[in-house]
Amino acid sequence: MRAFQALLHTEYTVFLRDKASLTFTFLFPLIFILIFGFLMRGMGDVEDARLGLFVPAGVESKILERTVSSAGSMSVTRYDDQPSLQAALEKRTIDFGLIWDGTKLLFLYDSSRVQENYAFEEVATGITADFNLAHQGLSPALTVEKIHVGREAATDWFNLVVPGILAFSILSAGLFAVSGHITAMKERKLLDRMIVTPMRPIALLAAIICVRLAVVYISTLITLFIAMTVLKLTFAVDWFRYTVFVATSTLGMMGFGTLIALLVRKPSSASNIAHILSIVMMFLAGIYFPIEIMPSYLRTLSKALPLTYMAEALRYATGVIDMTETRFWGITVAMFALAVVLLPLLARYVVSADRR
Amino acid sequence: MEEENELMMRVTGLKKYYGEVHAVDGISFAIPRASVFTILGPNGAGKTTTLEILEGVRGPDAGEIEVFGIRLKRVTRAVKERMGVLLQDGNFEPYLKVKEVVRLFASFFKKALPTEEVLTRVALQEKTNAYVKTLSGGQLQRLAVGVALVNDPDLIFLDEPTTGLDPQARRNMWSIITDLRDQGKTIILTTHYMEEAEALSDRVCIMDYGTIIAKGSPRELTSRLGQETIIEFNTSSLETEDLTQLESYGKTAREDGGIVTVETENLVHTMEQMLAWSREREIPLTNMTVRQPNLEDVFLLLTGRRLRE
Amino acid sequence: MKGILRIAAGHLFTAFRERVTLFWFLIFPLFLLTILTLIFGNMGQEGEISFAISVVNLESNTAGPVDFAAIVEGVFEETGTASEEGKEPLFTLTHPSDGEDLEEFLAREKEALRLGHRAAVIVIPEGFNQELLERMMRSGSSPSENGAFTIYINEGNAASEMATSIIEQILSGIDRQFLAHVGRFQEEEAIPSETLWVGSGGEELSYVDFLLPGVILMGFFVNGLFGVPGSILFARDRRVLRRYWVTPLTVPRYLAGFSLGHLTLCLIQFALIFMLARFAFRATITFAEPMPILFLLLGAITFLTFGFFIASVAKTANAGMAIANILNMPMMFLGGLFFPIGGLPTFLKVIVYANPVTYLAEGLRMSLGIQGETFSIPLTLAVPVGWIAFCIFVASKRLSWDVKR
Repeated sequence: MRAFQALLHTEYTVFLRDKASLTFTFLFPLIFILIFGFLMRGMGDVEDARLGLFVPAGVESKILERTVSSAGSMSVTRYDDQPSLQAALEKRTIDFGLIWDGTKLLFLYDSSRVQENYAFEEVATGITADFNLAHQGLSPALTVEKIHVGREAATDWFNLVVPGILAFSILSAGLFAVSGHITAMKERKLLDRMIVTPMRPIALLAAIICVRLAVVYISTLITLFIAMTVLKLTFAVDWFRYTVFVATSTLGMMGFGTLIALLVRKPSSASNIAHILSIVMMFLAGIYFPIEIMPSYLRTLSKALPLTYMAEALRYATGVIDMTETRFWGITVAMFALAVVLLPLLARYVVSADRR
Repeated sequence: MEEENELMMRVTGLKKYYGEVHAVDGISFAIPRASVFTILGPNGAGKTTTLEILEGVRGPDAGEIEVFGIRLKRVTRAVKERMGVLLQDGNFEPYLKVKEVVRLFASFFKKALPTEEVLTRVALQEKTNAYVKTLSGGQLQRLAVGVALVNDPDLIFLDEPTTGLDPQARRNMWSIITDLRDQGKTIILTTHYMEEAEALSDRVCIMDYGTIIAKGSPRELTSRLGQETIIEFNTSSLETEDLTQLESYGKTAREDGGIVTVETENLVHTMEQMLAWSREREIPLTNMTVRQPNLEDVFLLLTGRRLRE
Repeated sequence: MKGILRIAAGHLFTAFRERVTLFWFLIFPLFLLTILTLIFGNMGQEGEISFAISVVNLESNTAGPVDFAAIVEGVFEETGTASEEGKEPLFTLTHPSDGEDLEEFLAREKEALRLGHRAAVIVIPEGFNQELLERMMRSGSSPSENGAFTIYINEGNAASEMATSIIEQILSGIDRQFLAHVGRFQEEEAIPSETLWVGSGGEELSYVDFLLPGVILMGFFVNGLFGVPGSILFARDRRVLRRYWVTPLTVPRYLAGFSLGHLTLCLIQFALIFMLARFAFRATITFAEPMPILFLLLGAITFLTFGFFIASVAKTANAGMAIANILNMPMMFLGGLFFPIGGLPTFLKVIVYANPVTYLAEGLRMSLGIQGETFSIPLTLAVPVGWIAFCIFVASKRLSWDVKR
């Protein structure tokens, strides 16, 4: 017990004194949130699209104007001729352009905005359809009522992303606690002097785990807090499920890190492999975009990644989506099982001596 | 023949194989209490592996260890409680303070000395609150010794304790070691430095190729070389006939790296002949020394290699 | 001269032998190009995306002249079959089991939607045919009326929104057909729409063509951000450099060799990434013109000097890597390399405008003709050159070539 207490003290003291590592651990998820969130929010969001309109003199445009204004909350700017419209498009003063010459609708797009144009094209298709009907004095008959089924809280796209980023920071923290921190201790020979004493490796592990759990929990809370204050999001956090899941998934990811450390020869390679795996997972786990838009083989891969399920469970625990209790607890237990199976191996790894 | 209860440790038939390689090939020795027992041997002799087995880092493939009156197949945690180990290399967490390191290691043992006392023993009191990353090489070594002594052990392993230390620091370490022995502790030492082995050891065992090739006190070992005296001098050019000639004056003669070593049991006789030879051949006897055989010579005799590669 | 070449070669070989370096500088850009193209290259295109939906047709009155409900249902059924062999259908439909009551099926589907297993559930209500006919005769629905039918969505599921817009597009096509069928809409008077792509010779730009310059710059970027300070600082800390300084080798010659090695590495990166984009993803842009080459060279040199800058402000190799790690994400992603930097809040825009990467990326794309002029060309050249000058200035003052003895 004394050994555990002393090791615990050592672990958190060293963590707090290593200023570089400290800032990194807490800063990293925040940077992620802010950058990626703002960047990718722009994609697919046409609420604030800017349309440039040119109608040559003498062409009747009232119907078109009505159609366009009812097509959504776009801002419309009128131009005096096609060249000035095109120039504005190139300069990105407007997002897409429309020219109505009385016989056809000409939509103009900036070809370099490959990721956004499909959304503008959707609006354009809508305008064409509505305009065609309105032009003949009709309005759509086949109208649609959309009814939302699901949780109240989530409406902003960010709400979907933040739990994913929390999941990613838990993944990194757990993974690198072993394939990073512990492997570095081995490589820097910090463990050598300890394993010739009666110290029980479980005491060291327990100390590392406790500190890591505390750090992860606090870090995710800070991230949530920032998301709620700076990005003005609302979450309905189920604190019990959230806490339990953060704890078990951190442990599970530590188990995963153990797997890497055991399979890789050199301790320093372990952290590199962990880094690579976490980046690959980040792209494929459906955090920033739904996996439905991925080709089927990538979708299958995505369903094999722990991060995908971690993100889903956290979306549930923060009140963004719904999930059956069975599924949530199934994921939680699976994470825990990963830990239970692999962490004892970690204890042995810690005390195993390398061939000198 | 020592009494059973005068022995700290007895090792019988210890073996450790790595596949085809017989790292430790059946060694046995006994270490009396309150003595310094030194294991000597070139690199690859198996002494590191032997140490690791005795320190409990690895388990042997065969053999028995008897320590603190208990017979064991491998060193257990209970044994570790009463042992102190100074490893050849290993690091401390740079962001910890010296006193925190000692306290941490103290917490691993059921009984431990107060931190102050430990630091005083290794003369690190002024560095009590210093961060590990600010310590010099010698200070780090002393901290490591302190950590090895934190549980006031009766049996202490010191693996190359003075490697990389300057002469002053080395002398300090030697006096720490002899103090410990005088306090009744048993020390198992390994070293590359022949002077150290001679100065500190009560018993020496020489290992090579996984087996013990000689055991005894330094004096017993050097007396294998009989009533010999050794004459050495430096040279830059010596021909085979010269060496043969020199050998005829004494018992043996050899040349190694510019140093000629002549062993003789009749110092005066050989000396006269060598001086005459030197005058005749016009080869000066540069830096000539006359001395008693030392462990290095024993080592060379037994293994054909020098202790220091 | 020989010495310079040897140092360059040494730099290159070391980079290749260290597997970590090899991964981040070569494999990661290739990986990123591949993943992003595979995921985003087919946005909105059929055959690659697929959503799970269901259609519940509650209409029981099929007696009238046209069974609109069945037609609508039929259209969606068709989306459930693949348009081409080996491709996925746009929608994967779920159907009620034999003899299942439709209301029960609807309830089951709504539950599945809630749990995220469906993107949308379309419900054609009872009385749809009659209602629709009436509306069409009235020249369409009035804004105050309810929808002709209902789509259940889940706002917590990003796929739901996407699927719904696609569904609405399909519906408006059907709507027009119905209106034409009942004689309300005159197809002959339909107004066509055309598309004009501005900025790249009148054609739509493929995603990989947009992405390629960004990935190449990213390769140069990580090379400069991590590789340069890494090599210098680790060599300095391990006293490898010290061994050079006791020979006649001078710092300027060492730098020349080092820079040459770095630029060669950039060239290899360029070649590999370009070939992958060309042959695997059918990119069409070429860099074989003076301005793009100028921008590439400028980029490689900018990041090289930026690496020197980092090496001069970091005290140890580990500190240097930490700084590089912190700067990596913001500079890379807030430089417009992969994602549009339009709708960012002010505090992030500041980073964007200060970031040399932004100007290099825009300049490169403009010079390749895949983008209109967002910044003026002189500006895209001036800012990186300014950064180069700044970095060289700081490095020449602060970069220490040996550790304290």
